[in-house]
Amino acid sequence: MTYAQSLWGMYVRWAAAWPALSAFAPFVPLIALWGFVVWLELFPRVFLPGPFEVLQTSWSLLYKGILPAYLGDSMVRLAVGAAAGMALAIPLGIFIGLNQRAHDATWPVLLFFQAIGDIAWLPILLVWFGFGLTTMTFVIVYTVMFPVILNTVLGIRSARPELERAAQSLGASRTRILFEVTLPGALPNIITGLRNGLGYGWRALIAAEIIVGTSGIGFLMFDARRAGSVDEIVVGMIVLGILWYIVDSWILAPIERATGERWGLVTT
Amino acid sequence: MAERMAFSPVPYTRRRRAVKFMLPLLGLVVIWQLVVVIFDVNPRIFPDVPTVLRAGWGTIADGSLLGHVTASLWRVTVGTVLAILLAVPLGILMGVSRGVSSFLSPLFRFFAVLAGIAWIPIATLWFGYGFGAITFVIFNAVFFVVAYNTLLGVSTIPMPIRHAAASLGTSRWQLLKEVLVPGALPNIVTGIRTGMGFAWRGLIAAEMIATNTGLGYMLFLARDFYRTEVIVFAMIIIGIIWLVLDRLLLAPLERATVERWGMVQRS
Repeated sequence: MTYAQSLWGMYVRWAAAWPALSAFAPFVPLIALWGFVVWLELFPRVFLPGPFEVLQTSWSLLYKGILPAYLGDSMVRLAVGAAAGMALAIPLGIFIGLNQRAHDATWPVLLFFQAIGDIAWLPILLVWFGFGLTTMTFVIVYTVMFPVILNTVLGIRSARPELERAAQSLGASRTRILFEVTLPGALPNIITGLRNGLGYGWRALIAAEIIVGTSGIGFLMFDARRAGSVDEIVVGMIVLGILWYIVDSWILAPIERATGERWGLVTT
Repeated sequence: MAERMAFSPVPYTRRRRAVKFMLPLLGLVVIWQLVVVIFDVNPRIFPDVPTVLRAGWGTIADGSLLGHVTASLWRVTVGTVLAILLAVPLGILMGVSRGVSSFLSPLFRFFAVLAGIAWIPIATLWFGYGFGAITFVIFNAVFFVVAYNTLLGVSTIPMPIRHAAASLGTSRWQLLKEVLVPGALPNIVTGIRTGMGFAWRGLIAAEMIATNTGLGYMLFLARDFYRTEVIVFAMIIIGIIWLVLDRLLLAPLERATVERWGMVQRS
């Protein structure tokens, strides 16, 4: 017990010195546990590969250049789709948010299309565009778009009227009010929408790659499933997890926190 | 906008709101029909409204739609209920100690971001194609998101409140019942809503790949026969089910807890 306690104390001190450590440390016991379960041979190897096999497989995939190429493909698709989705969604969201009539006419439609969900579009897209890049890009753009539009509209409509009136009474023009009061006020919402949209978009990408599949991490996993090699599936999952963890917690969450904090929304 | 509603001379009744919500959707249907007729769209590419209705009626009449919908909803219910029952106690248990929660939260974040679709390949390998694999995917999507959010919820309860309860002489059980669970509830509900959002999409994807009933399978089967009208009908059904689930069940639940705890966000 005392050993465990002093170990824990050491960890706490180290983690305080290097905060990055605390992001990795919890995985050590998990991997150890995983190795232990595999070593006990409770499950057959074809169902649950050990950490070393996975490491070996990932090295060989890396060495053969399959992993970097597929990872690149997935990232490019996500980046292009997300950028296009945002470029469409933010202006549309601003327009709908500012215009009461447009809001009344489109809000239920937007909610409905958001509800259909990206993946349900895949079959009809396959009929329209066949198995290819267009289908995948369409799915990602679609997925990223709706959360961003919905949140932008919400953000703009929840702008405080007294601030707008204050700006107006100080003689600001309409465009100035839009750019200096309404939009900054809506920014936290827009970024939350972006984070949600990317979260959904990234999952949609995996599903699209599994079903449409010519390359990409999703395809890698499903191809491995077909060939029955679990270790490659696990490699794919780990890569996906790490990738999204990095994007989400090092890029998106800090941006969200920064805007939220600056606008005084975060209390903790 | 709430302001404007409050001053409106006509009270916003439920029916009026429903009509206001349905009108744009009806407009969309009218536009759809007009576009198909005017531009003479190939029905293989996009069918017109009567064709879709007829196809829809066909699936209702032969009972296949009911079978697919119940199969899908049953899977979602089983997966979600199991996940919530396991995730909430686990999240609270981990959240009780601040050291443990901060140590474990990266782990849960990692699995929360991996939730759902990414598990499909390995789930089909473990459980074979069918009910097990799909329910596992749903369970997974809900479990990690809810556990992470519960953990977050418990660990963000201000320490002074816990100390206050402790200094007033609460037992551990009372602390749990009166402070920790209620305090974490808004986060738990948000977690359930997010998790189910991922689970629903995961369900459709999993059903396309790994089964022979359910809405996703209905979509994919229709694609194999190039029956666009069935695809469109199934998409509409999927949209309606999720809209009803999210807007009439989850969103009001979330709003009710969040409002009651005084963290009102207009939405």
